Amino acid sequence: MLVLEQLQRRFGDVVALERLDLTVAAGELCGFVGPNGAGKTTAMRCAVGVTTPDAGTVTWEGRPVSLAVRRRIGYMPEERGLYPRMRVAEQLVYLARLHGLPAATAAANTAHWLDRLGLAARRDSPVEELSLGNQQRVQLAAALVHDPVLLILDEPFSGLDPIAVDVMSEVLLERASAGVAVVFSSHQLDLVEDLCRSVAVVDAGRVVLRGDVRELKRAGDRRLRVAVDGDPGWAAALPVDTEVVARRNGEITVALGAEVDPGVVLELARASGPLLHVRLEEPRLSELFRDALQDRLPR
Amino acid sequence: MRRGTTVRLIAAREVRQRLRSKLFVGTTLVIAALLTVLAALPALLGAFDPAEPVVDPSAEESALPRLGVVGSLSLAERTAIEAAIGPIEVVEVADVDAGGAALTGTTDDLVAVVVPGERVLVAPPGQLLRPASVAATRIAEALALGELFSDDPDRVGEVLARPSLPVEEVGDVDPAEATARLVVANLGVVFLFAVLIMYASMIINGVIEEKGSRVVELLVATVPVRSLMTGKLLGLGIVGLLQTLTLFAPPLAVLLLTAGDVIPAGVGGLGVAIAGWFVAGYALYAVMAAGLGSLVSRPEEAQAVLTPANVLMIGGYLVGFLAINAPTSTFAVVASFVPFSAPYAMLVRQALAEPAWWEVALAAALTLSAAAALTVVAARIYEGGILRTGARVRLREAWRAG
Repeated sequence: MLVLEQLQRRFGDVVALERLDLTVAAGELCGFVGPNGAGKTTAMRCAVGVTTPDAGTVTWEGRPVSLAVRRRIGYMPEERGLYPRMRVAEQLVYLARLHGLPAATAAANTAHWLDRLGLAARRDSPVEELSLGNQQRVQLAAALVHDPVLLILDEPFSGLDPIAVDVMSEVLLERASAGVAVVFSSHQLDLVEDLCRSVAVVDAGRVVLRGDVRELKRAGDRRLRVAVDGDPGWAAALPVDTEVVARRNGEITVALGAEVDPGVVLELARASGPLLHVRLEEPRLSELFRDALQDRLPR
Repeated sequence: MRRGTTVRLIAAREVRQRLRSKLFVGTTLVIAALLTVLAALPALLGAFDPAEPVVDPSAEESALPRLGVVGSLSLAERTAIEAAIGPIEVVEVADVDAGGAALTGTTDDLVAVVVPGERVLVAPPGQLLRPASVAATRIAEALALGELFSDDPDRVGEVLARPSLPVEEVGDVDPAEATARLVVANLGVVFLFAVLIMYASMIINGVIEEKGSRVVELLVATVPVRSLMTGKLLGLGIVGLLQTLTLFAPPLAVLLLTAGDVIPAGVGGLGVAIAGWFVAGYALYAVMAAGLGSLVSRPEEAQAVLTPANVLMIGGYLVGFLAINAPTSTFAVVASFVPFSAPYAMLVRQALAEPAWWEVALAAALTLSAAAALTVVAARIYEGGILRTGARVRLREAWRAG
């Protein structure tokens, strides 16, 4: 289990991390989301030992993340980087060996991941000759080639085409089901919602929302989406513990507190005209995200 | 995995990548071939063959130095001249003008033109094919002697034939070896400067490649930053030694094969000294290049950030040349113990002044200690600068962050 505890880090006057706590268990696929500058990259860099926190601890299985542990982490930095003139397979073998794998295992793992990610035909090409999408796949292979027990990926989906997103998603799910702890940052909240079992929302250097995605959605304010053929002013008289969170194409979305009866809101809407459509659903992750950051984000 | 294994893996990658560069290998092989041909050239041209008589004995008569004479020489004068410069062929010259024309023209090859009792004419110094000046002085002296003993020509021969006092050289310096040592000192200083500046540049470009391509973040997540730096320096150092061997081993082998008996024995040890000072100088300047390289992300910034190291390298190089002119001076002695000039100045002293063994050992120890101290500083700057991509990092910021 990866535990980031009370991490603090400043860069001059800028506070990057402010007592950040995060736990990721083996087999867990955790989405790490937050606005730009929230501290996601700094937290991930602290986790892999690239950045030293000013205070707080990072532990894996109860022990500080030593060099030996770092060798068992698969890391994809936000700023992608490989040796541009080095050949794909040679580069992966080299990185696997730096992680402590014997030469034969490094070669076998390289062959496996190149095959799995559709890069076998390019094994002897210099990285700089690959398309950006394929370079991204090599970058993923570089994070996986040494059989890591923990995967820390900073924006792994950024810049990928839909097919590559599917491949990346499959691989992450497969690794998590194999018992690897996986944490990745992303701005694609719908993707995180579909893919992850758990999520951590970070803002201003601290985790502001953390938990199982399904439970968070269940516990969050339900959304009642209503379209009425009549005056939309009905929403001005909503009962306590409800709030209009969106108006789009004549549809009004109302967030309902846990105790609110949706029928009361529907009565108000029906009074203004015939209902065109009604949908009651759990909140999307993006809505939970906005709720968590509601003091800072524009509606 | 042990730290040594990590350093070895990193060094091996550096070696592999450089040796895979067709430009690097091709250039090295072409230069090595050129140097080998140059080394073989003297042998091909027969410069080391045993001396053979240039003149056919049958043509000895006509090979005598020709001396122009306006008028005639007395027997005493001729005896004196032949006693001074050996047998001559006397050529009659009509007058002083004709003598001058014969000396400065290209048709005749007179050593000098004598106007007895008056003067000796020689060609101006620019006409190098006429080695006349020393001979002319002797001729002038002989003429004066001939005049003095004009009544008794045999006395002239007696006087000039009297053996002169022996001239002895003190010390055991072989002139050939002294010349060879001077050549080695000059070439050694130039060679050290060239390879040190070349490898400093190669290191800084290697550091910038990792930083510019951002692969460094992936590496430092796995590898201690100092191992990364050490592996890079070690790898490029090995490439440097391999390249030096490739460049110089074939021409040296050719020289030893073709002129082994001509090369003075004492010069061979200087080759070892050059290799040793390359290693010490590399250790010193390479760590500086690595530390400074971590401050920038773009190749075009490399030379600007390398300026402090370049100034020290050029300074050491100039000190080396000054030391060649005065290898026993206090300046040369002091410079040979100052780490940044020691590789050059001590090499010069070893070539020209024969310092005690402990002086060489002390200079090497001081240089390597400075390199070790500088490694600590450079490693901290490297740690502080290597992950900060984009704008150039200030030295102080890198030091604080390291």
